Amino acid sequence: MSNAERTDDIIAAEFALDLLEGEELLEARGRIAREPDFANAVDGWRAQLAPLADDIGGIEPPIGLWQRIEGALDNAPESGAEIIALKQRVQRLQWFAGVSSAAAVVALAFLAVPSPKVEPTAPPVTLASATPLVANVPIAGTPLRLDMTYLPDQESLIVTAVGLEADGVHDHEIWLVPDEGDLISLGVVTPGVVRAHSVPHDTAVQIANGSELLLTREPLGGKPEGQDAGPVVASGQLIQI
Amino acid sequence: MADASVEARDKLQDAMARLANGERAALEEVYRATKVKLFGICLRILGDRKEAEDALQEVYVNLWQRADRYDPSRASPISWLATFARNRAVDRLRRGKVRQGAVELDEAASLADSSPLAEDLLIDAERSERIHCCMQELDDNQRRNIRSAFFNGATYAELADKAEVPLGTMKSWIRRGLQNLKACLERGE
Repeated sequence: MSNAERTDDIIAAEFALDLLEGEELLEARGRIAREPDFANAVDGWRAQLAPLADDIGGIEPPIGLWQRIEGALDNAPESGAEIIALKQRVQRLQWFAGVSSAAAVVALAFLAVPSPKVEPTAPPVTLASATPLVANVPIAGTPLRLDMTYLPDQESLIVTAVGLEADGVHDHEIWLVPDEGDLISLGVVTPGVVRAHSVPHDTAVQIANGSELLLTREPLGGKPEGQDAGPVVASGQLIQI
Repeated sequence: MADASVEARDKLQDAMARLANGERAALEEVYRATKVKLFGICLRILGDRKEAEDALQEVYVNLWQRADRYDPSRASPISWLATFARNRAVDRLRRGKVRQGAVELDEAASLADSSPLAEDLLIDAERSERIHCCMQELDDNQRRNIRSAFFNGATYAELADKAEVPLGTMKSWIRRGLQNLKACLERGE
């Protein structure tokens, strides 16, 4: 059987159907960010395929679910953060040995000092001013970089990941290195887009001029609970502008 | 029947527009109108009730945050919402695989495609008929595997594994299927 020609339109369909993995997925994600025609083709396929869902029988969800949704909305920021499930995850990290990048070595040196397990006790700290902080984070081994802007008055971290390389089976997770205590997840980078990550107030008060950020490579969805974090692939500092 | 259908679609369209303007009450309207269909989709893909409930919650919370992304000129609201729910559920499935091992495709597939829905009123019958008709024109391997990708969120590798064929064969089947599907859909336009 001869292979069917893999035109852009077929690639768009493959992406719309979530068939792709690895390099191919990574490449398609990148193209969606860069090529409006390709992004349109994906949307087109999604619209064409959507009626297939008509074959799926409906099932009544449990009665209390609407209340749960309302509860989640009350706790959710108004917009822009799709990392609700992840943002509150403050986790103890144990780093893999054998991490290779220079950034990781620096991070390891920092982290090797056992940090006291102090729960932040509602510090009455506020950032001195509402001046945005920015971090420009080059990603080791690639020409790519991640731009992050923290807006103190909105307690929001704007992550610009246009052109960011992901390998399709991993996500990149952003971590704040607090003055003391464990690293705090600020969510998972969405490759190819600019996204606002809402920062919980408890975390926001720990962000200051000079705060260090790390980027680790994790399975899709971020660091699995109870497992070691992946390797550090980049780091940077939030600096007042 | 046709009038009721048009009316139901217009109502949902209107609720989506108000939702995009940040009207919270509109979300509840959209929920009432679409929850049965979208829960069916989440459950079909995830094959686990608890996971499907969490996914459905995620769908509507995300919808609240991103309702302005719906473009009425491109898709009917129910089609767009169905795709939105499917994509969320597939995302969750992929995350879950990293953590818990793959959900058995059979388990998900064994959920019956059951009762007709009140939401059927929302379906754009003409468009729906076209894709179903074009799917019927595909050969068995093409149709079965494209359906499995859509309904179970299976990747090429998983489909090849399940069908016990080389990855290249599976890719070839599906790519040909997609080409045929495209040609058929274009003929219908």
